[in-house]
Amino acid sequence: MKLVVNGEEHVVEVPVETSLAEVLRDELGLTGTKVACNEGHCGACTVQVDGMPVLSCITLAHTVSGRVTTIEGLRDHPLVAAFVRADAVQCGFCTPGQVVSAAALVAASPEPTVDEIRHAMAGNICRCGTYPKIEEAILHWRD
Amino acid sequence: MELLRPSSLDELDGGVFVAGGTEVVPLLRDGILQTTSLVDLRAIVPRGVRDGRIGAGTTLAELESAQVPDALREACRLAASPQLRRMGTVGGNLLQSTRCWYWRLRYPCRLHGGDRCHAAEGEHREHAIFANDFCVSAHPSDVAAALLALDARLHTSRRNLPLAALYRLPDEADRRTTTLEPGEAILEIEVPPAEASVYLKAMDRRRWSFPQVGVAAARTGARTRIAFAGVAPIPWLLDGETVDAATPLPRTAWKVDVARALLRRALAELG
Repeated sequence: MKLVVNGEEHVVEVPVETSLAEVLRDELGLTGTKVACNEGHCGACTVQVDGMPVLSCITLAHTVSGRVTTIEGLRDHPLVAAFVRADAVQCGFCTPGQVVSAAALVAASPEPTVDEIRHAMAGNICRCGTYPKIEEAILHWRD
Repeated sequence: MELLRPSSLDELDGGVFVAGGTEVVPLLRDGILQTTSLVDLRAIVPRGVRDGRIGAGTTLAELESAQVPDALREACRLAASPQLRRMGTVGGNLLQSTRCWYWRLRYPCRLHGGDRCHAAEGEHREHAIFANDFCVSAHPSDVAAALLALDARLHTSRRNLPLAALYRLPDEADRRTTTLEPGEAILEIEVPPAEASVYLKAMDRRRWSFPQVGVAAARTGARTRIAFAGVAPIPWLLDGETVDAATPLPRTAWKVDVARALLRRALAELG
């Protein structure tokens, strides 16, 4: 199968039951995408497909036809620096998924309100509880 | 396992159907669903809303901002996280399996064909308060409760039926909770207009959780239809009975109070 990830086309041979997260991490070495619950509850594995945040742990790689963007593809996004400035990271495991969701939000709504942020980010859980800092990072992502 | 991508309904011939994958992929991974062919329905199931007919492939996120009755929009909005709502389809949502932990952990319970209901004897604080004499699992679909209250009809690849007829209570002879036959796919959902409708939901936490109790109410003329999520092994239409008819388990009595309170609020909001 062919998969376009961060603008680059890859050809991978994997069984049908392989998740997109497994392909990204194990076949392509893009380990920035994290797997925590592995059943679609926590949002750590969030990547974009055609700009929309989806859960790569419960997406079968073979069913993906759109362009995939992972945290590695957002290396230069201003949100990354904004997360650092706001100190929006504690253990950091959920952070790639948080940034991927936030990047889709600011692409659709460059000046999101707190309500919009809370609505769009509700699917990314942070067990360290850095939510106020994440909110601050997104509010000031272009500063 | 092979992945089939049929391009017409005529090609449908068994296998496990998948669209958004949010329900099916975890069940396959856990071995609860087993198949040699997975059938990607996305090319043949309609998507989008037109004249009160909803394509079964429409995502919950799309319905959330579509011209559909309030109860349905709200049920979609409260159903799950943004990522899941963007992936999951309305047709798939109607076919969700219970969140009963014994069933998910593959205990040999009645729903799996066994002869015990482990939840009835064990941990069941999130389980059923209606129709729970054989299996005490609770059905998690917010959307199904909303569509039941709205008196929706389904168009499948084989027949047209009221939504209520999609569901059946499991019994000794047949453990299934739907009447869908192998190879039959839900294609469209027809939603008659309602004068007013509402969906309210109690959750363990404020955002994105399965319903402890969800209540949908829809008023058309002098008639108000009421349906619940999370209270019975199937989406539960309150048909000529009241919440007083509930038969709670030792640790689900609290759900009766929640159902009563939510219903009172829903009816007040309907006006």
